[in-house]
Amino acid sequence: MDPLLAYQTKKQQAEKYILIGGPLAVAAVALFLLVGLNNSVFQWISGLLFVGALGFIIVGSVRFNKMVADFKHNFLKDKIGEWIEDGVYKPDQGLGQNTVYGCEFLQSADRYHAEDFISGSLDGVPFQMCDIKLEERRVEHTKNGTRTYYVPFFTGQFYVVDFNKNFNGALQVLETEKPRSKRPFKKIKMESVQFNKTYKTYTTDDHTAFYLITPQMMERMMTVEKNHPGNIGFAFIDNKMYLAIDNNRSLLEVQMFRKLDEARIAGFKADFDLIHDVIHELKLNQNIFKEIA
Amino acid sequence: MNPIVIILLVVLGIVVILGLWYITTMNALRQLEVKVEEADSGIDVALTKRFDALSKLVGATKGYAKHEAELFEKVTKWRKGLPDNLSMEQKQEFQGRLNEVQSGINVAVEAYPDLKADKVFLNLQNSINEVEEHLQAARRLYNSNVSTINQRIVSFPTSIVAGMIAVAKKDFFEADTEKRADVDVSF
Repeated sequence: MDPLLAYQTKKQQAEKYILIGGPLAVAAVALFLLVGLNNSVFQWISGLLFVGALGFIIVGSVRFNKMVADFKHNFLKDKIGEWIEDGVYKPDQGLGQNTVYGCEFLQSADRYHAEDFISGSLDGVPFQMCDIKLEERRVEHTKNGTRTYYVPFFTGQFYVVDFNKNFNGALQVLETEKPRSKRPFKKIKMESVQFNKTYKTYTTDDHTAFYLITPQMMERMMTVEKNHPGNIGFAFIDNKMYLAIDNNRSLLEVQMFRKLDEARIAGFKADFDLIHDVIHELKLNQNIFKEIA
Repeated sequence: MNPIVIILLVVLGIVVILGLWYITTMNALRQLEVKVEEADSGIDVALTKRFDALSKLVGATKGYAKHEAELFEKVTKWRKGLPDNLSMEQKQEFQGRLNEVQSGINVAVEAYPDLKADKVFLNLQNSINEVEEHLQAARRLYNSNVSTINQRIVSFPTSIVAGMIAVAKKDFFEADTEKRADVDVSF
């Protein structure tokens, strides 16, 4: 049996439980509200129905999550190995907080979550990436006490790309964020009015900014922004390029009631278009970013 | 209050405001001038580095590009670094000479595939490209600063202060695109 079909079958089986449990729960609540409020027998019946429904939903969810884990650890892992040179995929791991905050423009989160770690090379350029979710803790004081909850302020992908172009200062090119660094970043303007409208440029050394952001680079960075919705931020620090895109989505997510077929797999592959575009548009794969022998 | 006192206070207020504005504008213009000077010295450093890199390349290709070696000798009058008092025009001329030498070498070595494949030669080429990128960055930074100060100088009422403290419009460092195109030969 085709492995993808096998996963789709398992997925459908898990979804069946949800399909039974969901309406059953609704029916239980409806029964309770319509006739159960004044009738103890119907109260019991609706209660039992609801417990049964909950059981179906729990079993369905557990099976679904198990299937997703199996799919990611085996099927997707192999696929990523095919799509990316030296591709390594660790669904349950992510980049460390130190690496992510190394970009020096993301706000430190109260709750940090990273998953779907991928490393490898595209056109000979080594990179690492993962999904990250950064959340801020909020405390609300009400009449009934204190309520603590978390609000996400960044949900998207984070990339780290190695390159060996030597430069002295640090540079950030950001759509909405601001530097969060101890370095003396200052805002500067590049020659392109359009570029300055799209991105804000911060640097610790003016020369470094003009050295790294050539007119061609400006055009390419604007192309990347145009082709990929979400807030984009670039940082060039210590021979690394960091790229963060806050697009409110996770890559490689298997969704319930969405068919898992070849088209969906092609969609997963297309999720690598961004890093592919960045490497090509910014010409990271050319000599400009290679160490002089 | 006596109307004359009120008028005097208003006039005094206006004089104080004008004085503060004058000082602030003067400081801003002076700071911009310093930035232009810093960027100017950045160009000098980059030009000197380019000269050094090119002199190594000339040394390595002497046997293949005699004419270029001779041409290079003509620019060695500034071998120990660029003089402080060079005008922007003279710097552009200097860069033009360097471009001429480099493009001549590029054409000359075309006939010698062994030289083109030589590791030392390739390293020199790479370092020249690197230096050239720094020179372009220095030039763009300088022009950006010049653009900022020139815009301020021609804008009213800053133009009044600029005139009073003798801050004049600065010259841009023009890229000689025709010659640059010749230099950008990849190996």
